[in-house]
Amino acid sequence: MRRLALLLAVAAAIAPVTPPVRAQQLLEWTPKEIDAVGQHGPWPPNPVRDPTNRVSGNPAAIALGRALFFDPRLSGREAACSACHLPSLGWSDGNKRGHGAVELDRRTPSLWNVGFRKWFGWDGSADSLWMQSIRPITDAREMAGSVELTARLLREDATLACGYRKAFGEAPAGSDEKLMVDAAKALAAFQETLVTPRTPFDDFRDALVRGDRAAAARYPVDAQRGLKLFIGTGNCSACHFGPTFTNGEFGDVGIPFFVRPGEVDNGRFGGIERLQASPYNLLGRFNDDPSPASSVRTRHVEKQHRNFGEFRVPGLRQVGRSGPYMHDGSVAKLEDVVTHYSEVSPDRLHSDGVPIVRALGLSAGEKGDLIAFLRSLDTDIPTLLPAPPVCP
Amino acid sequence: MKHPTRALALALTLFSAMPNLSEALAADCPLDLGHGTGLVVYTQRHMLALRPEPLLIEVGIPFTLIMNVCTKRGEPAELVAIDATMPAHKHGMNYTPKIVAGVDGRYRVEGLVFHMPGEWELVLDVRSGGEMERLTHGLVVK
Repeated sequence: MRRLALLLAVAAAIAPVTPPVRAQQLLEWTPKEIDAVGQHGPWPPNPVRDPTNRVSGNPAAIALGRALFFDPRLSGREAACSACHLPSLGWSDGNKRGHGAVELDRRTPSLWNVGFRKWFGWDGSADSLWMQSIRPITDAREMAGSVELTARLLREDATLACGYRKAFGEAPAGSDEKLMVDAAKALAAFQETLVTPRTPFDDFRDALVRGDRAAAARYPVDAQRGLKLFIGTGNCSACHFGPTFTNGEFGDVGIPFFVRPGEVDNGRFGGIERLQASPYNLLGRFNDDPSPASSVRTRHVEKQHRNFGEFRVPGLRQVGRSGPYMHDGSVAKLEDVVTHYSEVSPDRLHSDGVPIVRALGLSAGEKGDLIAFLRSLDTDIPTLLPAPPVCP
Repeated sequence: MKHPTRALALALTLFSAMPNLSEALAADCPLDLGHGTGLVVYTQRHMLALRPEPLLIEVGIPFTLIMNVCTKRGEPAELVAIDATMPAHKHGMNYTPKIVAGVDGRYRVEGLVFHMPGEWELVLDVRSGGEMERLTHGLVVK
């Protein structure tokens, strides 16, 4: 008994001292504000199931897609998808602009939460994740692969062919184009699994919605003030809406169009043209969903003059760790993004009514609050688990 | 991510949009669009009964409007065009809706998407007896 008491005393003496919990403050939140905060959750949503992709959510397809994602043989220049979408850099590359076979005009977008999007690419030129997955593989400026190369890889590599049979229930046969699309669907099935974990914001949001003031008060006060700005006078949530912090559409936020002297990136305007010209859009024969519901956006989107220079509104989860920013990587730091929205020139933005994007004129304190909130959307990412076997 | 309470709130909002319900009901226009609920927009000449499908309009989610178009005197009326804008920002939708006339006399307006939260305004052009009239109705989408 005395030995036990001694052990307990020693254990108490060497136990790490728990730092005192710092008392926090819960700001006053109106019912309208609580409703607005609640719109940004819950998180995570239900897993993605894309009806246009018959192997969406299929574990064998996810394993095959993961293998393809890291396989440089898909490329004509020995560069896998993961050469630009690096897991260690938030599935992007940290560069101002993407580097494929040449330097590209736009930043490599992060793939976090990509499965929840409705439009893909900065210009929305793809209406499904599998359609989007075809373009960089076959684009001579990016991976410089081809439909034929991808099809041959699936047919001739024994492991991939076996993985294909497990995922699609048949041998990799048929046209090269069919196999290209199926490879893209497996790649999409894998990318749909890239979902960010919960963040400090999510804990606050849930506590606020259920009325747990003590739990909500653990959220830093500067982040609370920043969140109030975000959903209030800043009107950021008009576009950065919902659990993923994007309405999935497009906007012009005052970034110059010119990619080099005399040449512009027309953004969504050209994206709609490319979408409508592609045989791989959801109105085509490769859509696995027999119902018209999944293609309603594609049927009804039409390019408008104002689409010129619009780019996809990015989600904000992991935003503090995903710079540089904007579609062209022209803004280096998160602090610079906030300054941009604080000082954006009205001359650059065309609006007949109350502009959605306007110079917010933030004080230094307000900028700090907004950044504190945005950084509360970041969280540490667990190490990527070892890849499951494609074909046991 | 559906919110039944918000759906109920919307339904109540739709009915509260009819300040003079008795006058509306008195006209020869089938207000019941199949689910016993709907929104009525009317002027001295025309009446429109609308029901969103799905009933809850959510930000960024495509929806359809099921509609009846009538005159208050029971003459044939036609839905000619429909659009939606955010009056404060003076911008419209990113999608072009399509009007489909059904054999049951109802219209289906497909491809509507309110891509931002806030106040939207439906703009409806109707025609009867050779005369055009524009009707509008405001909706708040959260």
